[in-house]
Amino acid sequence: MAFSTFVTSSLVIGLLEAAPLVLAAIGFTLIFRLNGFINVAYSENITLGAYFAVVFNSILGLNFYASILPAALLSGAFSVLTYLVVFRPAFNRGVGKTEMIILSVGLSFFVRYGSRLIFGNDLFNFDFVNPSYLSVFGIGITSIQLTCIGLVLIISIGLYILIYRTNYGEMTRALADNEQLAMVSGINPTRFSILIWFIAGTAGGLAGIFYGAFSFVSSSLGWNLILIVIMVTIVGGIGSVRGALIASACAGIVASAITLVSKPLYGQVALLLIFIAILKLRKGRA
Amino acid sequence: MEQLLSGYFVYSFAFLFVFIALATILHMQFSLTGIVNFGIVGFWAFGMYSCALLLLKLHIPFVPAVLLASVLTGIVSLLLGRIILNLDNQAVLVGTLAFATIIEYLVTTEKWLTNGVMGLGTINFPFDIGRMTLFVYFLIILAITVLLLLYVSRLRLSPFGRLLLSIKDNESLSQSLGKPTFRQKLVFFTFTSAVIGLFGALTAPLYNCIFPRMIGPGVTFSIWIALMLGGRKRLFGGLIGVLATIGLFEFLIETVVPIPAEYAEMVPNFKFAAYGLTLMLVLMFRPLGILGEEGRGTKYGE
Repeated sequence: MAFSTFVTSSLVIGLLEAAPLVLAAIGFTLIFRLNGFINVAYSENITLGAYFAVVFNSILGLNFYASILPAALLSGAFSVLTYLVVFRPAFNRGVGKTEMIILSVGLSFFVRYGSRLIFGNDLFNFDFVNPSYLSVFGIGITSIQLTCIGLVLIISIGLYILIYRTNYGEMTRALADNEQLAMVSGINPTRFSILIWFIAGTAGGLAGIFYGAFSFVSSSLGWNLILIVIMVTIVGGIGSVRGALIASACAGIVASAITLVSKPLYGQVALLLIFIAILKLRKGRA
Repeated sequence: MEQLLSGYFVYSFAFLFVFIALATILHMQFSLTGIVNFGIVGFWAFGMYSCALLLLKLHIPFVPAVLLASVLTGIVSLLLGRIILNLDNQAVLVGTLAFATIIEYLVTTEKWLTNGVMGLGTINFPFDIGRMTLFVYFLIILAITVLLLLYVSRLRLSPFGRLLLSIKDNESLSQSLGKPTFRQKLVFFTFTSAVIGLFGALTAPLYNCIFPRMIGPGVTFSIWIALMLGGRKRLFGGLIGVLATIGLFEFLIETVVPIPAEYAEMVPNFKFAAYGLTLMLVLMFRPLGILGEEGRGTKYGE
C-alpha cells in the first residue's frame, strides 16, 4: 500500500468511525461537566437509542431516517429517567463520587441485561432501502454512511453552538461549581439538569443509531464503546466539549490507521495504551 | 460419599472460594487502601493464562508454574501501578478497566499463543489420586483462602494496615507525616494483585480448558457487587456477599430450581440484571452492605 493511500484511507475511515463517537463524547462530557462523575450507564443510553430505532425501523416498518428522530427523543427521555429515578436521589442521599460511578455501573448492568430479557441475545440490522455505493478518495462507502456523517456534522455543530455561543455552557459550569449561587442568578437547577440530561441522552442515542447503521445492533454496543468515550472525555479535558471533539476524531484516525496495517483489536489496544500514557502525562488532572 | 466428593458440589464450592478470595482482596484494595480496581478480571486472567501457558508450552511442573504466574502478575501490576496509582480515583478506575480490556483483547487476538476463542487446554490437576483429586484440590484452595482471611484480620491491626487506612482517609496528611505513601500503595497493590494472579492460576485446572469469554467484565462486576452487598468495610463482607450472590444464583438456583430449557439461555441475563439492581439498591439504601459498620471493640477504622 502506497503511503498516500494509507494516509487518506486512515483519515477517511477514521473520521467515519469517529463520527458517532464525537456525538457520544459530547453527550457524556455534558453530564460529566454538570455532575462531575463518570456515568458508565451512558453506555446503555447509546445501546437503547439503537434498539429504539430498531423497533421503529425493523419492527414497525418505518423508514430508517424517519425512525431516527423518535428514537433519539426516546433515548433522551430515558436519560432523564435515569437522572430522576437513580442519580438525583443518590446525590440527595450524599453518595460519594466513586460510589456514584459504581452505582452507574450497577444501572448499566441492570439495563443491559434487562434489555436482553426483552430483545433476546440476537443481533439486529436496520432495513435500508437500496443503499448506493460511492467512492470518496478511492475508499468505498455507502450512501447511508455519508448521510449519517452529514447528520453527525450538523448535530455536532448545533451542540457546539449551544454550548459555546449561547449561555447554556456557562450555566452548566455555574451549576456544577456552586448550586446556591446558580439559583440566585435565576437558574432552576432541576429544570436545567433535566434539560442537560435530555440533550446528552439524545446525543448518545443518535450515536448508537449511527453505530448500529454502520454495523449491527447488539446489547453490548454501548458497553464496547463506553471505555473509549470515557478516555476521550478525560483526555480531551474534563467537561471540555471542544477537547472531546478533537480527541475523538484523533482516536478514530489512530485506530483506523493501526487497523489498516494489523488486526482491528490492535487499534483498540493501542488507543487504550496511548490514553493511559496521556493520563500519566497530564498528572491525573482528570 | 465418594461420588459426592468428586462431583458438582465440590467443584462449585471450589469456585465459590476462589471468588470469596477475590472479593476479600478487593476489600483490601478498595476499602483498606482506596484503590478503585475495576480490572480485577485482568489480573485474574493474566495469572490464569500465564499459568496455563507455562504448564502447556514450557512443561514446567504445577507448583513452580503457579508461583511464577503469580510473580508475573505482580510484575505487570507493578508496572501498571507505577503509571496510574498516583492519579486520582477516576483515573485509577479507568486505567484498571482499560488494563482488563487490553488483556481480554490480547487473549483473543494472539491465537499463536492462547488459541484465541478456540480455547487453551487441557490443564490437568497437579496430582491424580482418583476420585478424591477434586476434593483435595478444593481443600488446597480453601486453605489458601482461609490463610488470606487470617492475614487480612491481622493486617487491619498492624502498623502497615493503619498506614494504608491513613492513605485512604487523607493521603496528603499521611505524606506530610513523612510516610512514603505512593511507594507503600504501590507495594501493596503489587502484592495483592499478585495474589489475584495466584488465584487465577489455581482456577485454571478447575476450568480444564480456558476461553476468552470467561474473562469478560462480568467477573469484575460480580466481585464488586458481592463486596458491596456483603459489607465493604468488614473482613467477612466479601465472604457473605459472594455467598449471597454467586452462591445463591449460580449454584443454588441454577442447580436446584428446575428451569425449562427454552429459558436456560436467559438465566445469565436475569442474573446480571438482578445483580445490577441489587448493587443500586445497596448503594442507595445501605451503603455499607449487610454487615454494615464494624462492631464496637475493634480498633480497625477508628
